Amino acid sequence: MQSLGIDVLFKGKNFARLLEGLWVAARVSLISSAVSILLGIFMGILMAGKNRIIQGIFRVYLETVRIMPQMVLLFIVYFGTTRVFGWNLSAEYAAVIVFSFWGTAEMGDLVRGALISIPKIQYDSARALGMDEKSVFQYVILPQTVRRLIPLSINLITRIIKTTSLIMMIGMVEVLKVAQQIIEANRRTSPNAAFGVFAVVFLMYFIVCWPIGRAAAYLEKRWAE
Amino acid sequence: MKRITIKRVSAAILSFGLIIVLLAGCGSGSGDPSAPAYRTVDEIKKSGVINIGVFSDKSPFGYVDEYGDYQGYDVYFAYRIGKDLGVDINFVSTEAANRIEYLQTGKVDIILANFTVTPERAEEVDFALPYMNVALGIVSPSDAVIESLDQIGPDDEVIVISGTTAETYLEKNYPEIKLQKYDTYAAAKTAFENRNGVAWANDNTEVIAFAIENEGYVVGIPSLGSQDTIAPAVTKGNESLLYWLNDEIKALGEENFFHKDYEETLLDTYGKDYEDTLVVEGGVVK
Amino acid sequence: MDMEIIRQYLPLYRDALFLTLRIGWYGVFLALAIGLVCAMIIRFRIPVLRTIVKAYVGLFRNTPLLVQLFFIYFALPKIGIRLSAEFCGSLGLGLLGGAYMSETLRSGLESVAKIQEESAESLGMNRYQAFRFVIFPQAVTYSVPGILANVIFLLKETSVFSTISLMDLMFTAKDLIGMYAKTLECLTLLVIFYLIMLLPVSLLGYVLERRLRHAEFGD
Repeated sequence: MQSLGIDVLFKGKNFARLLEGLWVAARVSLISSAVSILLGIFMGILMAGKNRIIQGIFRVYLETVRIMPQMVLLFIVYFGTTRVFGWNLSAEYAAVIVFSFWGTAEMGDLVRGALISIPKIQYDSARALGMDEKSVFQYVILPQTVRRLIPLSINLITRIIKTTSLIMMIGMVEVLKVAQQIIEANRRTSPNAAFGVFAVVFLMYFIVCWPIGRAAAYLEKRWAE
Repeated sequence: MKRITIKRVSAAILSFGLIIVLLAGCGSGSGDPSAPAYRTVDEIKKSGVINIGVFSDKSPFGYVDEYGDYQGYDVYFAYRIGKDLGVDINFVSTEAANRIEYLQTGKVDIILANFTVTPERAEEVDFALPYMNVALGIVSPSDAVIESLDQIGPDDEVIVISGTTAETYLEKNYPEIKLQKYDTYAAAKTAFENRNGVAWANDNTEVIAFAIENEGYVVGIPSLGSQDTIAPAVTKGNESLLYWLNDEIKALGEENFFHKDYEETLLDTYGKDYEDTLVVEGGVVK
Repeated sequence: MDMEIIRQYLPLYRDALFLTLRIGWYGVFLALAIGLVCAMIIRFRIPVLRTIVKAYVGLFRNTPLLVQLFFIYFALPKIGIRLSAEFCGSLGLGLLGGAYMSETLRSGLESVAKIQEESAESLGMNRYQAFRFVIFPQAVTYSVPGILANVIFLLKETSVFSTISLMDLMFTAKDLIGMYAKTLECLTLLVIFYLIMLLPVSLLGYVLERRLRHAEFGD
């Protein structure tokens, strides 16, 4: 039987290169997640408020991001805006901008959902106990919101990680592109490398995302009294 | 209840409008040639780094070896450019369809990615003197060789790479042939090996290399379309870099640089036979 | 922006839209079918199959569609499994979507109160009848918003089909940019066509969600 191409991964620095590629994707995901969570919290608090204009603007923003595929947004930012404004935007910045733009909207919606899901009676009861507004928020609302939010935001992070596989399309050398390069450089000696290498990339994503997803599920279960 | 629905509907429609306006605004704004998207030779030298767009999955012209280093005929030339400019090289991995885009938006200073000179492309970018000859070729599996385009049935698909001359040529001259398009060399070649198409059309240099390196394939049509050349390209209007490159290519002709390049990078694949047909020395096509 | 170019490209985008919709809907139906079967297997705690379903859902929820497609389209032929690009597209979308749909339907099933099943059985229905006439209709109702969100997600994900040579909207845009470098026109058309495809689904989602909530709670 012909080899299925796992062996090419042990040639030279190939496996390390794949991991490096994975790190490129992970770096973009981590930065985008951090930005999204920070801005999203801010956004969500604004959204849960009473201001209709702010709510309207946010709605439009959320709809736009929900309907447009992330790949389209990547192309618009990376190719469209650089052409129009003539700035020099690296692929990595473009990716971080797009994923943060998208993640912030999603996170904002999660925060808003968590905030308005706290029943009004919680506020009333806390006030009845004589707490002032600051303490109500700090000791009653915030802990509950955070508990609801943490599993949801962890899930959002895995979504961002999975979506960063698209950065290959704007020319970033991440794990899939490295996989293609390895397959290409070894085409003559191991024609079946495509199987082994793509299988390994498949597993790599699984190994990264699965534990994070499990952690979210665990927290969700534990905190759902 | 109704009110909320209407609000959401109108939000959605508004977002639609917003994007259109935004894009339309962008479109009309693009007319003014604001800051040029390119860097002159002095600016490149001052920054100490030159960005060169090459293929990373097109062996033996531009690919990455198992140590993560760029290699190939184009890359060998790129290293020399970096050395003669006295700057470091930042290789940018490009796909065929992105090459013009990368130059126009200033993401690279030079494209050295097996870029065939065509009149359409020359409207968008500036080509320096050529360093290689090329035509189109079609490779097919040896048990079903395609020696003429008439052999391609109405349901057969020919693999091409998006943004290459093969694509444009077949689309223009043989619109009835069904094309199966990929955006990377690696994807196209793997699909061809997997027999997703009856043949693969590309630069003849590339298909010849493929047939030599991989058993069971024959280049049934070794030359198709016009004889073209491959040259470095710079952003339209970047005269300082263009003239520098032309002088460089002429000067390198004195030392037979591209023959040496061939011997270092292509000899293993093509053997001696193709050296004189492929290489263009000093920018002069014989 | 050049209107002449837009007019010239319009038919290409239209064809791409039809292709995207065709593959997209096959994928969505496949996803619903897979999702339903998986949700039932989990619900009825069928041994062995349950473990397989869980592994499948875990694997496909935790990997990107792009990687899944690369594996199905480029890697599987190396071990003798050769599928057409269109089939791969639908299959990939169906497998990814199935994993999401099964979770949505499962939580829909879980949200139907246990007492409903007990009541149905005390009325003399057998387990199948209770599921068919009492549990299932309610579960679907609960799941509709989630299902539609999944549909939008899946139709958006079709944008990665371009990597396996399917001439979908994304590919058409990339291809035209590569050949003729009319970036702005191409990107504008791309945005418009995605809106044409997804806006109706998104609106349908809101309307249905409202309706269903209305059916459940009244106004």
